[in-house]
Amino acid sequence: MNLLEIKNLKMDFGQGPDALRAVDGLSLTIGAGETVCLVGESGCGKSVTALSIARLVPVPPAHYVGGEILLNGRDTLKMSNGELRSIRGGVVSYVFQEPGASLNPVFRVGNQIKESLKLHRPEKATDAEVIRLLKLVGIPAPESRLRNYPFEMSGGMQQRVMIAMALASEPKLLVADEPTTALDVTIQAQILDLLRDLKQRLGMAILLITHNLGIVGDMADRVAVMYVGQIVELSPASELLRRPLHPYTQALINSVPKLAGGANRLTAIPGNVPRIGNFPPGCRFAPRCPIAKPECSDAVPELIEVEPGRWVRCPFWKTS
Amino acid sequence: MSLLEVKNLKVHFPVKHGMFSRVHEFVKAVDDVSFSIDPGETLGLVGESGCGKTTLGRAIVRLVEPTAGSVLLNGEDITRMGGSALRARRRKFQMIFQDPYGSLNPRMTVEQIVGEALDIHQLTDSPSARQKRIVELLKAVGLDAVYAQRYPHEFSGGQRQRIGIARALAVEPELIICDEPVSALDVSVQAQIINLLQDLQQQRGIAYLFIAHDLAVVEHISRRVMVMYLGKIVETAEAKTIIREPQHPYTQALISAIPEVDPESKRQRIILPGDVPSPIHPPGGCPFHPRCPIAEERCQSEVPALREVKRSDWAACHLAGTKIDARR
Repeated sequence: MNLLEIKNLKMDFGQGPDALRAVDGLSLTIGAGETVCLVGESGCGKSVTALSIARLVPVPPAHYVGGEILLNGRDTLKMSNGELRSIRGGVVSYVFQEPGASLNPVFRVGNQIKESLKLHRPEKATDAEVIRLLKLVGIPAPESRLRNYPFEMSGGMQQRVMIAMALASEPKLLVADEPTTALDVTIQAQILDLLRDLKQRLGMAILLITHNLGIVGDMADRVAVMYVGQIVELSPASELLRRPLHPYTQALINSVPKLAGGANRLTAIPGNVPRIGNFPPGCRFAPRCPIAKPECSDAVPELIEVEPGRWVRCPFWKTS
Repeated sequence: MSLLEVKNLKVHFPVKHGMFSRVHEFVKAVDDVSFSIDPGETLGLVGESGCGKTTLGRAIVRLVEPTAGSVLLNGEDITRMGGSALRARRRKFQMIFQDPYGSLNPRMTVEQIVGEALDIHQLTDSPSARQKRIVELLKAVGLDAVYAQRYPHEFSGGQRQRIGIARALAVEPELIICDEPVSALDVSVQAQIINLLQDLQQQRGIAYLFIAHDLAVVEHISRRVMVMYLGKIVETAEAKTIIREPQHPYTQALISAIPEVDPESKRQRIILPGDVPSPIHPPGGCPFHPRCPIAEERCQSEVPALREVKRSDWAACHLAGTKIDARR
């Protein structure tokens, strides 16, 4: 059984005729100990998908219209508040983009980590365990650091505290939503290195959300590329980066300047990401797609398995 | 002659502890920086947050006052110029900002935003000529003329950055300081703006100081690249050589820290320990020595000067050129 199985998830913001479909028929699985990356541009629905796993998106404004999110075989969309409380942290933990905004500014970081321990492992809610966790995430001098307030720490240190807090409950799945976007490159390298190391030592699964394709190459076993609410390509990471099949994935990879890539002109994707609620008919990428044909506007193409393990939402992937 | 020459520029910000206390300390945001830009050239400036790269850009256009040193534009010292004299020179240099949401007045239409620059410098003599020029500028940055009457909130991030570029172009500048012009944009839109900036440079011969934290973007657009750390330039070289053969250990670490798309790349990763130190109390000697994997004893006491390590490759490091061994 897969640790996480999202089946045909559909989520709207708003209701009735004004409803905006943020996630449209998304299916994704994560096995135990696997790292899956969810890649896409801002507004494509990657964050709300991730938050939906522990049902952290407030309803309303959100409405789950269809689908299932099976975590350890049980549908989180049908869980009671009590059950949700036990899986939040207990099975799935989150690390967010801005550590400064996620930590409570008026409590010492040690107490914040202890709070997570009290909820999930009350017998271990001790200073010694907090120090062990801070050591685990590579914070030097943890004995004194646990008495720090968040503002006394740098962004990289704060993110380490967030990770320690997420790990305190020994989750099966760590969801990291752009964990390094607010950090500098040298600090980003430290945090990614830490995540890789922790994954090996603790054997948890990671769902990593990012817009940076470089991070995908560094971290992921499998990747799902999202474009305005839908997965357009799902594939093992190294194969996707070596030979992307969907025209959007190809365009995305080509539009990023590479180190020592020379001064060749970048191939930009024309136009803008369509707004939610204002999708073009048929394939949502068609207006920006270099190989679009008239029939692309007729119907939304299906996500089909074109090679073992490789899924593409484009009937013309062979010609691209 | 260089278009822009920056000589020993310093920008120090006073730090006050409490309301009535005297100033005892300074943040040395820019500390003794010198460089020059030729007409039509792109000079890249990279560094991590807080290294002083934005302050340096702002000090050049006099949006913050330099503490010491001088900025020469076409050989003319603008560091101590004021009032109308400075305003007249500002026609020659413009700035594009990072946040396309914050840098456009939400109560002005695109026509007013772009037209304001024309009015200040009295560049058009009739309303119809002004109108024509605005349409021309919008076209140059890839926006349709019908957008002239709209407000900034009606545009996407990429389009707003185009408006910012049109405003900068209005006065036909010779130099544009681009302060992280693409870092707030989506990946697919970034390439559009980078291409636009390159096209405009080719058509109009504008020089850029391109400030960014993304080394791959900077390398792509620049001829030469400067790397900044804690207010100082630690290395400056041709864009190609700085990527292939970085001399300064910080540059080496910076390059190796960039996650790469290519799965075949077997590049070694150097993980720097610790954080960037506080610029109020920078470490003595070489400012990089506490994080440097190859630091020696003299690095703690002697400040390394910027020296030419190889032809046109300058680095501020006693041990420049020493290759760092990656951890794995």
